[in-house]
Amino acid sequence: MIALMEFINFYLIPGIVLGSIYALGAVGITLTFGILRFANFAHGETMTLGVYFTWTLMQITPFHPLVILPASMLLTVLVVLGIDRLFYKPFRASPTIMVVMASFGIMLMVRSVIQFVWGVQLKGLVPGIQRPMVLFDTLRISPKHMVIIASAVVLVLLIHLLLSRTKIGKAMRAMSDSPELARLTGIGTEKIVMTTWVVGASLACAAGVFLAYDTHVETMMGFKLLLPMFAAAILGGVGKPYGAIAGGLIIGLVEELSSYPWIGTEPLLNPGYKAGVAFAIMVLMLLWRPSGLFRGRVF
Amino acid sequence: MEQSYGIFLYIISLATMGGMYAMLTLGLNIQWGFTGLFNVGIAGFFAIGAYVSAILTSPETTRHLGGFELPYIVGFSASMIVTALIAWGVGKVCLRLRSDYLAIATIGIGEIFRLILKNETWATNGPRGVSMVPKPFESLAEPYNQLMFLALVLVTVAVIYLLIEAACKSPWGRVMTAIRENEPAARAAGKNVERFRMEAFVIGCMIMGLAGAFTAQYLKFIDPNATELTTTTFLVWVMLIVGGSANNKGAILGAFLMWTVWSASEILTSRLPDDMAIRTAYVRIFLIGLALQIVLQKFPSGILPEKRPKPSGSHE
Amino acid sequence: MKKLLAVPVAATAALSLSAGVFAGDINVGSVAGVTGPIAELVAPIVAGRNLAAEHVNSQGGLLAGDTLNMVLADSACDPKAGVDAGGKVVNVEQVVAVVGASCSGATNGMVQSVTIPAGVVNISDSATAPSITDLEDNDLVFRVAPSDAYQGAALAKLAYDSGARNLAMTYSNDDYNAGIAQVFEKSFTEMGGTITANQAHEPNKASYRSELSTLANGGPDGLALFAYYGSSGIAIIRNSLENALFDKFFAADGMFDVSVIEQIGADNLKGNIQITQSASDYDDVSYQTWAELYKATGNDPKAPYAAHGYDATFLIALAIEKAGAADRSKIAAALREVANAPGEIVRPGEWEKAKALLAEGKDVNYEGATGNVDFDENGDVAGIYGVNTVADDGTWANELIK
Repeated sequence: MIALMEFINFYLIPGIVLGSIYALGAVGITLTFGILRFANFAHGETMTLGVYFTWTLMQITPFHPLVILPASMLLTVLVVLGIDRLFYKPFRASPTIMVVMASFGIMLMVRSVIQFVWGVQLKGLVPGIQRPMVLFDTLRISPKHMVIIASAVVLVLLIHLLLSRTKIGKAMRAMSDSPELARLTGIGTEKIVMTTWVVGASLACAAGVFLAYDTHVETMMGFKLLLPMFAAAILGGVGKPYGAIAGGLIIGLVEELSSYPWIGTEPLLNPGYKAGVAFAIMVLMLLWRPSGLFRGRVF
Repeated sequence: MEQSYGIFLYIISLATMGGMYAMLTLGLNIQWGFTGLFNVGIAGFFAIGAYVSAILTSPETTRHLGGFELPYIVGFSASMIVTALIAWGVGKVCLRLRSDYLAIATIGIGEIFRLILKNETWATNGPRGVSMVPKPFESLAEPYNQLMFLALVLVTVAVIYLLIEAACKSPWGRVMTAIRENEPAARAAGKNVERFRMEAFVIGCMIMGLAGAFTAQYLKFIDPNATELTTTTFLVWVMLIVGGSANNKGAILGAFLMWTVWSASEILTSRLPDDMAIRTAYVRIFLIGLALQIVLQKFPSGILPEKRPKPSGSHE
Repeated sequence: MKKLLAVPVAATAALSLSAGVFAGDINVGSVAGVTGPIAELVAPIVAGRNLAAEHVNSQGGLLAGDTLNMVLADSACDPKAGVDAGGKVVNVEQVVAVVGASCSGATNGMVQSVTIPAGVVNISDSATAPSITDLEDNDLVFRVAPSDAYQGAALAKLAYDSGARNLAMTYSNDDYNAGIAQVFEKSFTEMGGTITANQAHEPNKASYRSELSTLANGGPDGLALFAYYGSSGIAIIRNSLENALFDKFFAADGMFDVSVIEQIGADNLKGNIQITQSASDYDDVSYQTWAELYKATGNDPKAPYAAHGYDATFLIALAIEKAGAADRSKIAAALREVANAPGEIVRPGEWEKAKALLAEGKDVNYEGATGNVDFDENGDVAGIYGVNTVADDGTWANELIK
């Protein structure tokens, strides 16, 4: 019983929190992958930028980061749309490798702007520590984790409504499945692309803020999440937002669970290899079922 | 006078690093440019080559496996052989994946290799790296030691270039292009597509391993930080695309050009006013990113685009 | 190819002629990992270096009133970039000496393939890897940052003396922390302590709860934590406290920063954390003088290795003055003379005094903010250690370990 509670408290819940953050980030990656057909290396930096917007707004207003979140999402979206106009749009008709390279350049540019403007010192969104609430004697859950998980669920529901109930959402899914089909919906490609950026950037901003809420703010925080988020997008199937959410949760959980002492008292896997777990799952997934869990596109 | 001698030495180092990057871009060009294999695991193969050569040639120490003190030529050959074998294993498993999926698989596998090198401390000294790696010609007087090392790098690049050029013009190269452009047709023509893809992958990785070996000798040191993604995988891709994919001259040009931008930009930004303190370092990275954007938009097919053999059918 | 190379070459040449060497400028290389994984730690160190240069320049300058010009180059904590940065300052900027290059790996590559062959003296202000001691360096590589071997042992003794017998330990898998952890484990068990679990962790992960939960098995007295505060240290302390897995921490100076208190909260740490820090005797007059001066620049004097940055730079300035010329080989030879006894004691900020003494032909002995900075035959300093705890006012309080 104690072992079970320990498992839930220290492996399962952290895994879900981490997984929710990966999931929100991975939705943006999978949509750009599916609709704009390229792997966006600058996605991590979009997250970081969103966090710094939030931090700045918190310095000038007295509000909780979650209250500020919509405003910083808006700012992030505006910047990302600007970047798209200047640096990605010229390559719409080019081979996708060009946009991938452009996004690499954007990654460097955005990161250096962040470091230039805000400096590299650590900052905290919410300093101090929060001791968890203890429920039923042994279940420990920290309020901030409940906030993160709940907000992630709300955002996922909003995405679900957008994708399943609105015309533009349906067009996005169609375009991700097959561009030819999408043209039949009568919605302009550019409009779909813009919406993709809006959705991707807002969720990236939210994921970053949740991460900063759980940890702290620093300039490389988004980049450090980039590869696990790619893994999540692939795992779920490229172009499949629901797949990305599932993929993110799975990667987050497995990363945490890999160091659980499943056999004996030593961690199953040396935690030094923790970062490799996401990649290993991703590679195995690709080999077993290249279209991902949710049957995404196979190029 | 001293000033110009210093600049001369700096140009040697610029060309040496450029040459090592040229090996990487040429290796990648075989895979991406000619065969269409999207390999993003460059850092992993580079790291394997670097560590193999460093461990085999460095003097005895208690910190890691070693003390073999074998000649350079053994180090270089061994790093190519080991990289090739590992690449063959990776290829066996992954090459059936296409395009972006291959990219993600190789990036994952490359990172797993780097984690192994970082965690298996008994062999590699873990994150602390392998030190006191001997460097060819280091006993000569300056600048001859550096010139000779540069010559060795450039000769190696030239040999690789000539071999690839010859291979590309041969029937082998034409099959590669055929696979990239229209795989079903190549298959229909009776070509063993899997074997050709595997050959391209293994040869490309082997050259990347060799570049790693050269880098370890040049730095006289190798650690996991020297194989991090930004400068050993992403930058190589940028170099190839900027220079001109599927054009070997372009690959070489891209390597030298982008390395010069990467390195020499600091000489500019360190001249910025002092009160900006260390923020100039961030300005430099920004300018590198911007320069990349400009080159990409000005030369959408690379500075030296692919030259297609003359009377060929229209592919596009 | 030749033509293409000619463009950057010409540009470089033009630049160095126009802006490079003003008459009366003496360049010293300042190589640091300003971008890359430990950027947040490096910024205060560079500020320390620049402060030393400022003191020299505002108090009469070098030699005949020349300006000490610190040329910054980015080693990004990567040996490739370190070698490249070293090459730029040594060859293009014609520096007479180099301070840097931050991370041990970048320093190791830079000194072996650039500064030693070029005969340029290098003082490292934060590279602590023991392997640097072994290099065949022609007496050109010095460190004001003590080798890990010392600090690991000092921390083990501290933990043992505080009554801990069973400790779990975890270290961030990087060149710096893995080294200290190794020494700590050895020293602590030799004293009779038990390490209940020892795990490497990968830095930069969002959560360490699962690792900590396994480490906490068997109820050890505390956690010996070897990490940089930014990349994993703060997250580990936070996860431990929030989940009541550990409440006592022993850490080395990669963890020492005011942001640890800011992020975790002083109340949570009071009485629970002890961090060794190399070579800062807060009661020492040299340190206090320096700390006042450094604080005036708007930086926190307790930032790890900021004082080392200052001392390394100041020592190079003294060596240039002692050598009497901006000459690489003479500076290397003069360095020990100004750093070690005998000689009249000079402290941080006292450039004018040092300059006058040297002009009279007297010996000087620099006693820096980090201690007496006497170099041994390997160019290392023994280092003294302080232990930091959280004081009642919520700041770090330091006590010297005797």
